[in-house]
Amino acid sequence: MHFRTWTLPVPMVSVEQEFVALQSVSFGYPTLTGAPGRLILDGVNLSLRKGSLVALMGGSGSGKTTILRMLGGQIKPQSGSVRVGGLDVPSLKHQALFALRRRMGMLFQFGALFTDMSVFDNVAFPLHEHTRLSDAAIRDLVLLKLHAVGLRGAAALLPSEISGGMARRVALARAIALDPELIMYDEPFAGLDPISLGVTANLIRRLNDALGATSIIVTHDVEESLAVVDYVYFLAEGKIVAQGTPDQIRASELPYVRQFVSGAPDGPVRFHYPAADYAADLGLGAGPGASQP
Amino acid sequence: MMTSFTRGVGGGVIDGVVKLGVGARLFALLLAQSGLAFRRVGLTIGQIHFIGNYSLIIIVVSGLFVGFVLGLQGYNTLQRYGSEQALGLLVALSLVRELGPVITALLFAGRAGTSITAEIGLMKAGEQLAAMDMMAVSPIARVLAPRFWAGVISMPLLAAMFSTVGVFGGYLVGVGLIGVDDGAFWSQMQNGVDWREDVGNGIVKSIVFGVAVTFIAVFEGYDCQATPEGVSRATTRTVVSSSLAVLGLDFILTALMFS
Repeated sequence: MHFRTWTLPVPMVSVEQEFVALQSVSFGYPTLTGAPGRLILDGVNLSLRKGSLVALMGGSGSGKTTILRMLGGQIKPQSGSVRVGGLDVPSLKHQALFALRRRMGMLFQFGALFTDMSVFDNVAFPLHEHTRLSDAAIRDLVLLKLHAVGLRGAAALLPSEISGGMARRVALARAIALDPELIMYDEPFAGLDPISLGVTANLIRRLNDALGATSIIVTHDVEESLAVVDYVYFLAEGKIVAQGTPDQIRASELPYVRQFVSGAPDGPVRFHYPAADYAADLGLGAGPGASQP
Repeated sequence: MMTSFTRGVGGGVIDGVVKLGVGARLFALLLAQSGLAFRRVGLTIGQIHFIGNYSLIIIVVSGLFVGFVLGLQGYNTLQRYGSEQALGLLVALSLVRELGPVITALLFAGRAGTSITAEIGLMKAGEQLAAMDMMAVSPIARVLAPRFWAGVISMPLLAAMFSTVGVFGGYLVGVGLIGVDDGAFWSQMQNGVDWREDVGNGIVKSIVFGVAVTFIAVFEGYDCQATPEGVSRATTRTVVSSSLAVLGLDFILTALMFS
């Protein structure tokens, strides 16, 4: 077993201060020639108080996951600033970035469990890699974390032997193994049955409060999220279009939020991908593209 | 027509150069982050067991049959000049200098290289590498480096095994089946094979092949597109590129060593 100690200046952050802050962040994946591509994030401002549980909502492809990857330092914004725990994430060097990541936990969309390790070893992985604890101490910690997600009895199983909802909970236990200060959830509700969904949502709230952590949920499950979060940001086409407490969101008259909350197929978000005139495409009528033999 | 052809050529060249650069960068990172693979030697030993030990059967069987064929063909040619006594020397030199390292590397690419690429590619597709990175554990140090060094260590051992079994195969056919003189078979071999010149250079070759094949395997897995087709294409590329690399490197090394 090995152990690394990394020293880095940790600025004082008071409880009232924001723990995560994005300021006018823009991002687009660069093309091969180096020219900037389509903007995925366009001037996003976002802030999380320490201890809060915040949802980031929006349709598929609205840039939600990009924000999580930016907080973890996996990608850098083209402009604007990304701060976590008082540190400027994009400017961190490798070691400082890894030291910061040890203070974060991330739950991936489908769990991303290591398929060659048992449930127990998956949760023990960060402890083995980052601490010098004895095997007995690690065992106790792992069982503690597994118990918190209700899966202590499944410790010996392999990821292939458990259901998707259980895998998500194991991944959650692994994400909180080192008692992170910031927990990020990427679509924690996707593909879960109603029971697992409710269980997961409550678990996220409980863990956030028990650990005194700050949490951010990327999701498009409106009802489940509104029931547990403190604050909501709505993202559309790379911009924050609405924000507020769950009550404010429910009462919102903004057409985009209304469509999202009610789940209407057509509205500001179109059902149809932009296309040529339907009749013309089928070669009917006198549309601009119609060709007659 | 002309422009699309030029564009195709240019695009191909740019892609190739980019990939070469990405590969070189990964190789440097891999070497720089190899400390963990030796500090926690259990990780590397586990991989030696997985990719080395499990390649043993195919290596041993192939070595035996290559030895059989060398015995038959060698005898056939040598007896025309009345020098069938030199069969042992011919079999041993062919194996330790050439066939041992080269065929082992080609088999290794097919047996172990593909499984390394597929495993790393599927870990990438399942976001396992990204998850590891987010847990502040470098996938290059934790996943790639132990596999790479296990391959580099396994290759010369497997090649030695191949040559040994091959010599034994040649003995079975030459002495047992055809009836070449037992003493001449071994003494000619003992006198004619130079430890440094022949065996040593063969070992150097297999180490170089080990570096090339295993690096291509981990690189293709790490660099693949994280989709089912991406992983399958990467696996194919591992076999094709590492086989070509082995053959090309073999020519260069032979020219340098034995000229």
